[in-house]
Amino acid sequence: MLTIAGILIAVAIIIAIDVPVLLRKKLHKELWLFSFLLCLGTVLGIVQALHIQIANPMDWLIMVYKPVADLVETWLK
Amino acid sequence: MTKNNEKVIMLGKIKISSRQFSILIAIYMIGSAILNIPAMLQIVAKQDTWISTIVALVVGLCVLPLYIYLGNRFAHANFTWYIEKLLGKWLGKIVALLFLVTFPAIVAILTLRNIGDFMTTQILEDTPIQAILIIILSVVIMGARLGLEPLARAAELFFPFIMVLLIVFIVLAFPHINFNNVQPVLENGLKPVLKASLIFIAYPFLEPIILSMLFPSVQHTEKNGKALFTGVLIGGFIMVVITILTILVLGTQTVSFAYPSYALAKLIRLGDFLVRIEIIMAVIWFITIFVRLALLFYISIVGIAQVLNLKDYRSLTFPIALLLVPLSLLAFPNAAYFQEFTPIWTIHALVMGFIFPLLLWLIDILKGGGKKTP
Repeated sequence: MLTIAGILIAVAIIIAIDVPVLLRKKLHKELWLFSFLLCLGTVLGIVQALHIQIANPMDWLIMVYKPVADLVETWLK
Repeated sequence: MTKNNEKVIMLGKIKISSRQFSILIAIYMIGSAILNIPAMLQIVAKQDTWISTIVALVVGLCVLPLYIYLGNRFAHANFTWYIEKLLGKWLGKIVALLFLVTFPAIVAILTLRNIGDFMTTQILEDTPIQAILIIILSVVIMGARLGLEPLARAAELFFPFIMVLLIVFIVLAFPHINFNNVQPVLENGLKPVLKASLIFIAYPFLEPIILSMLFPSVQHTEKNGKALFTGVLIGGFIMVVITILTILVLGTQTVSFAYPSYALAKLIRLGDFLVRIEIIMAVIWFITIFVRLALLFYISIVGIAQVLNLKDYRSLTFPIALLLVPLSLLAFPNAAYFQEFTPIWTIHALVMGFIFPLLLWLIDILKGGGKKTP
């Protein structure tokens, strides 16, 4: 719970630093992307704080390159 | 074209000197590789690691002309503009974004995790890794928000210290050298040597493609190629020397150390009064890893901002840093996974750092090449 509180406080500070500037300069596209990435990061952080198992993006990389890597591996055995 | 011209002007404000560019590259190359590479190579090539390092350095220097060619083609604008020009607007945007996310951004995630792992296993054993990652990232965010110029000046300021400490490190390690450690030569044939060279070529010698994206930000564009070459040569040479030194001093027992270069630093002593200087060495690595991470972070974010035509990249620094922490924790569940991941990364780096630029070069040549400069 403490971790989640920490994440939310950090997010609040980030919003306090950047959002007023973005609003003042009327940078709407930047604001949307900022919000989207911030939400993604927050959710990911909370999910991890709750120890919920999620897919590892590196596994996708392994999936893509596994056949080629195995080929190189057998060749250089 | 007007939009692109605006971009050129915007980018024109940031200028670092060729010297600073070389220094940034040299530090980038030392980066986290100085911690990981000795162990990664010695597991594969054992006492023949020294041959692999030299092969990798030579190959690493041989691919540079490709990066320099591409870099010079977009030195007046930016990387994204160049890909869009070659591949068309939408395909170009998708390819550029894919490259930025799967190469510099993932390298940043891995680098962040490396320093976290090093700290929690060697120095601050009871500190949660998250705390270390957050502290390092806050400095990196600060660096990225200030921009390339302050970062380059900081690197320039640190560079003499890094060099002096590394030279002290190398000189003090000399008395411990035992040439029996590299014998017998080629006991297991050439294949393990080749495999280790591939690992070293992929990390970090194929990464200067990322740094060539800084070409537009350097003052004297015509000197960029030379600056890139010098930087890679200095950084690569230091890496080769340190790796060879770990094998000469520690022998094949290095395999039992996660961080042979740190183990080597622990050995160093001058009489009875200069002992336990390994923490000074660790400080050099904090600096090199900070510069590496800050560059990767800066390049990825500025690149993404350019692809999406954003006016300000700074607003992306916090959200992306917030994403990096959980992602770097997620990336390696355990040490065994890292072992499995190394060959995969080698192929990935070959695709991103060699095949991709080679394809760009071919398309460039087919579209008329460098004859008419735009």
